Amino acid sequence: MRFTQPPGPSITFKPRLHDARTATVIGRWLGLAVVICFATGVLSHYLQHPPAWLADRLPSRPYWGYRLTQGLHVASGIAAIPLLLAKLWAVYPRLFAWPPIRSVRHALERLSVAVLVAAGIFELFTGLLNTFQWYPWPFSFVPVHYAVGWLLVGALLLHVAVRWPRIRDHFTRRSPGTLALPSADGPDRRQLLAALAAGVGAVTLTTVGQSVTALGPLELFGPRSPDHGPQGLPVNRTAAAARVTEASLTDWRLTVAGPRPYSLTLEELRAMPQHEVTLPIACVEGWSKSARWTGVRVRDLLDRAGGDPRAGCRVVSLEAAGAYRVMEMGRTYAQDPLTLLALGLNGEVLSLDHGYPARIIAPNRPGVLQTKWVGRLEVR
Amino acid sequence: MAYRYLVGGCGIVLMAFGGALLLEQPEPWRVGVWLAGGALVHDGLIAPLVFAIAALAVAAGLRLRGVPRAALIVAGSLTVIALPPLLRPGGVANATVLPLDYARNWLLAMAAVAVITVAYVGLRACLRRAARRR
Repeated sequence: MRFTQPPGPSITFKPRLHDARTATVIGRWLGLAVVICFATGVLSHYLQHPPAWLADRLPSRPYWGYRLTQGLHVASGIAAIPLLLAKLWAVYPRLFAWPPIRSVRHALERLSVAVLVAAGIFELFTGLLNTFQWYPWPFSFVPVHYAVGWLLVGALLLHVAVRWPRIRDHFTRRSPGTLALPSADGPDRRQLLAALAAGVGAVTLTTVGQSVTALGPLELFGPRSPDHGPQGLPVNRTAAAARVTEASLTDWRLTVAGPRPYSLTLEELRAMPQHEVTLPIACVEGWSKSARWTGVRVRDLLDRAGGDPRAGCRVVSLEAAGAYRVMEMGRTYAQDPLTLLALGLNGEVLSLDHGYPARIIAPNRPGVLQTKWVGRLEVR
Repeated sequence: MAYRYLVGGCGIVLMAFGGALLLEQPEPWRVGVWLAGGALVHDGLIAPLVFAIAALAVAAGLRLRGVPRAALIVAGSLTVIALPPLLRPGGVANATVLPLDYARNWLLAMAAVAVITVAYVGLRACLRRAARRR
């Protein structure tokens, strides 16, 4: 690509590195990040809001699945930020192409690029701010971030299809398009790309500690830190926010509805067979931390109520209000021996902010579905 | 060629699906404002600013290519992701949200970039001098 200055706006760009080879190499990295981010995002959406036909079929294993995919979602999104800025830098002169519109096809092409750029900036901006629980926009984050994700990946596919001849011409160092570029730019371009890789590495290393506990000491900019939180675990919704108080729990009993309904005091629950599992809390915002949980298997509780061995359940929290007060648990999760109604965390009695007296902990599930302050189970 | 049309067609279908989901929102135009706003702020404000600063630096006789550019890219990337916790207004939901000292960490990160850059340049100069002597 040569930006010989045509008559038109008097903006001049030194042509170096604003070329198709630079755009192709950065575009490949960015495309990979966007595809990973999109795939893990859609997966997370369906785990959190499964349609009826899927709810009982979602796999409860591997137990670390959601921790990995949602960690990847946030990490690939953060990695995409320097990549998107670099990609826009590389192609910025094309914004001033002259004449601005040559044909209907050219107009449509530019429109699709505008959608791609707008959707890309929007997704990374809203996603990053969401991890910091910062919502300056006047719309609901989850459905809009989800919708624009489809817009972005669609615009990306269209872009790759439209630009494919140029991408192919600049795909390797020895592709004909690359060879036609000034050879003096080669070392300069490699330096730029190495610097960009270092930038991606730097933002990843300074944030990924929120989900990779071993890299916690390197975490400088993550919104959560595995070391900060009662009983060694961060908290999303506190008891105060859910309006659950110690006083409101004095007469607490667990009610289990089913063919043979019953209710249990905390003492009776503690007298049932206790199990210990090590499972992570993995939040949709990307942070995750593994912990040791002790409690009663949910499937034992459902069996006792006369639920059939393939039963799922509904879990109702004592919290006053909230989008996840009532949680539906598909049968794969309810029957998994790792799924507990947990009474203890890391060797202690569950603290109030972690869901005392009893909370759900299940494998391979988003944190918002690990219902706290459980008051009622219903066999389905 | 056929593959290109297939992939492009799939892209248009996915875009239409995303657009339809957006139209289900209570006030989709608000999303449109933020979609267009992001692109406008980048193309009309951030990018010209970066190009202008680079042009000024070059006019002042600074050489940006190579190591200085790499240091600026890394420092800039780190600064961009440090901005939300540094600028976020209002209180946090609880003590485990934004628990780190982000201002101190940003200064640490910038210092680390500066130290690594200076060390790299120094090491390279030493190696070159040693190579010349030989």
